[in-house]
Amino acid sequence: MAASTSSSSPGVAERRGIPAASFVDDVETYLKQSGLDVNSSLAFLQERLQQYKIVEMKLLAQQRDLQAKIPDIEKCLDIVATLQAKKGTGEALITDFEVSEGIYSRARIEDTDSVCLWLGANVMLEYSCEEAKALLQKNLENAKASLEVLVADLQFLRDQVTITQVTVARVYNWDVHQRKSRQAAKET
Amino acid sequence: MQQGEGAEAQVTWEDQQNINKFGRLNNRFHELEDEIKVAKEANESLEDASNELILSDEDVVRFQIGEVFAHMPREEVESRLEKMKEDASKELERLEEEKESVLAQMAELKKILYGKFKDSINLEED
Repeated sequence: MAASTSSSSPGVAERRGIPAASFVDDVETYLKQSGLDVNSSLAFLQERLQQYKIVEMKLLAQQRDLQAKIPDIEKCLDIVATLQAKKGTGEALITDFEVSEGIYSRARIEDTDSVCLWLGANVMLEYSCEEAKALLQKNLENAKASLEVLVADLQFLRDQVTITQVTVARVYNWDVHQRKSRQAAKET
Repeated sequence: MQQGEGAEAQVTWEDQQNINKFGRLNNRFHELEDEIKVAKEANESLEDASNELILSDEDVVRFQIGEVFAHMPREEVESRLEKMKEDASKELERLEEEKESVLAQMAELKKILYGKFKDSINLEED
């Protein structure tokens, strides 16, 4: 189920503002091409990792918000559906609701054709039950779609982090290897 | 991931993709563990609610919808609860299945990666 977007070649340069980590085929060639010595290269890669971390924090926060928003919208849809179901019967819907923390009161909701939806920014609008259902449904679909895109972004980001971490390890190992061979050459 | 001592094996793009996939699967595995915990609690709560309903002998039950408690006839609450329990149990099953699949894929990747890199790579949970 985990959407594995493994490209056949390192193609994508960036995704929605997140720079892609370039895959290093050969450490020696990479260092020559970038003109950096081992320490500068490692410093650059570490800085990249920090930047990725910051973006990850931001995306995770957005994900948490969306994940909280979706059940809220579903609850609203449930209420609207319940009101619509009651409409035909002629009975009123009696509910207990929270007036203040720990204090509840009883409300009698008569047969109604409309509901008020809180749109945010201190604005509340009256809608017919049908319109409200449609609006809530659309909001729910948008939220779910945004969440999907966000999850894909996070996966891309984590891949770039992994690639960068592996590159760090390889550059470091190559350096250790080089030092060992130079040491061995000196001693012979 | 551990830094191996002078790793001999070269890392190809395919290896990198495998490592990436393993990382993604591992993340998903942890997410699933949390989701399964929440789903199990939800299932238990619904069971408790169901039991409470059987024990009580009220005709009108206060059923929570959103932030309010709607007064509903007992039969309607019973059928709603049944549906919710069914959905919750299906959800739990789906999550458990996904977890099994993720673990299996991770085991496969471990075989491949350890096969090529042996000690130079560490894929265990620290």
